[in-house]
Amino acid sequence: MIGLRGVEVVAGDFSVGPLDLDVPAGEYAVLLGPSGAGKTLVLEAVAGVRAVSGGAVLICGEDVTSMPAERRGVGLVFQDGLLFPHLTVAQNIAYGIGAAWSLWPGRRRRALRPEVARLAAETGVADLLDRRPATLSGGERQRVALARALAAGPRVLLLDEPLSAVDADAREGLQDLLRRLNIDEGLTVVHVTHDLGEAFAVGGLFAVLVAGRLQQVGAPGDVLRRPATVEVARFTGARNVFEARPAPGDSSCLALALGGTLRISGPAPAGVHHAVVRADAITVVPEGCPRVGEGDTLLTGRVRRVVCAGATSVVEVDVPPLFRVAVAARELEALAIEQGGTVSLRVPAAAVHVV
Amino acid sequence: MRGRRPSLFWAACAVAGAILIAFVVLPAASMIVGAGAGLLGEALRQDDIRRSLWLTASAALIATAIAFVVGVPLAYLLARRDFVGKRAIEGIIDLPIVFPHTAAGIALLTVYGREGVIGRLLAPFGISFTETVAGIVLAMLFVSLPFLVDTARETFALVDERYEHVARTLGSSPGGAFLRVTFPQAWRGVLSGAVLMWGRGISEFGAVVILAYNPKVISVLTFERFEGFGLRAAQPPAVLIVIVAFVVFLVARTVLLPRRGRSRKDAA
Repeated sequence: MIGLRGVEVVAGDFSVGPLDLDVPAGEYAVLLGPSGAGKTLVLEAVAGVRAVSGGAVLICGEDVTSMPAERRGVGLVFQDGLLFPHLTVAQNIAYGIGAAWSLWPGRRRRALRPEVARLAAETGVADLLDRRPATLSGGERQRVALARALAAGPRVLLLDEPLSAVDADAREGLQDLLRRLNIDEGLTVVHVTHDLGEAFAVGGLFAVLVAGRLQQVGAPGDVLRRPATVEVARFTGARNVFEARPAPGDSSCLALALGGTLRISGPAPAGVHHAVVRADAITVVPEGCPRVGEGDTLLTGRVRRVVCAGATSVVEVDVPPLFRVAVAARELEALAIEQGGTVSLRVPAAAVHVV
Repeated sequence: MRGRRPSLFWAACAVAGAILIAFVVLPAASMIVGAGAGLLGEALRQDDIRRSLWLTASAALIATAIAFVVGVPLAYLLARRDFVGKRAIEGIIDLPIVFPHTAAGIALLTVYGREGVIGRLLAPFGISFTETVAGIVLAMLFVSLPFLVDTARETFALVDERYEHVARTLGSSPGGAFLRVTFPQAWRGVLSGAVLMWGRGISEFGAVVILAYNPKVISVLTFERFEGFGLRAAQPPAVLIVIVAFVVFLVARTVLLPRRGRSRKDAA
């Protein structure tokens, strides 16, 4: 459906690519990455509002690289909706239906009304048609922006951080709407975000972009559990990333550069690598009952700090190296974990990913 | 004590501002009050003043219209695109601001005068820029063009370019996006520039007097009366043009361009 073939985009001193990516028809793809990674540049290149400096952009198998934006059949929704402030909600939606909306009064305008009403109902803004954009909330603005994008009958919907300017309630509703548009109407979506939670809530295919380079493309679970690079591991929230090499004399162990060893499932690859362990994959073992499995690693260390973050806290344990462990609030209390105390950690071999 | 410091600061700002406002208002007010209603009525009864006022206002309007047609596209180009020589073009547009206006008139004369390159070319078609309305328009256009182009460029730059990106994906051509999305958001700024340009045009003297002493625009008429008959004779046309300019600016600021204040509050 969407194909990027060695696409390069240059903006001042910053460049993105070359990128190769395929988004199948009907897919909900999330272009994920930290701020400044170049995600918006890629989206703009697909939309045709930014020229590529190399490579080719394909939509439905057609090379659209040199095709103007108005002929590509893409819908574009930005973070702040960017509704045309001089038009009402109805006029905004109608913009994409008929180019003559605001120039032709009377019959032509009336003919567009049912279609505007249908789109407004579909996106939940039917009662806002006569309002001006300045009077709408963030969530309402995004719904209208979606209705406007859909009005032009796009082959692909491109969303640039569409949920980051709306509150939590509105966000949930918009996520449902986006998924519905994708699943029920088979619309291919490319959604740009730096928010991992948002990405998991909507995405079916992750493409992780860091510093202008596409680091990994895959299912959300794969990207989370098996990051392809250290950058992806760090971006997806892996709190324990250690430089490591095979332990001498034991091919199922990695020797960490900062000290200590970790058991892994399978033989350790030769050379210097990184061991990645997610904070929620490590468990704190209660004193006196070290339930350690065959391939697990048992570590003991001093609690340097406990960082409370709602229902889950992050416990920093100096083994060394410093391990970060996600611990549920009730478990924290049950295990009497406190700063300065000593705890034992169980690191399952299957939870250690080598990149 | 801490709460008092800002009020002292704002009071100092207000005093400084008041000095400046008085500096601007005092000469104009003194002239108008000194002239009185009788003098104004007298001015309106004089044919040469009425003709001159009409000529000045309409020539400045034509100059503004020409600048609108050729200057607004240039302003949009400068606001949206980066290209080699952009800075130089911006400098060239601003050049008339730093030109002494009599020098501007002489420069125009060398090109559009009877012996000038373009003047000679157009003479066979009966087009002349010396001692004609066309010459007045030309002089006004030259000296006041930057006011429209610069204001329009700044206004276009303030409109988020992504609006145009969205419009393009909704089927608009680049020109369509400009006309239907950007210009409707920027028209107040462009109009503001046009009013400024018109105001600068009606007050022009130096360039006009070199290129076209006749027919007389109001500034030339005022100067001629002052030279020939003294201050009292020069006051009626001077008062009239100040009042006309003041009324136009007042209407533009309060009726045509009221959005500026509101949008600042919205942004806050």
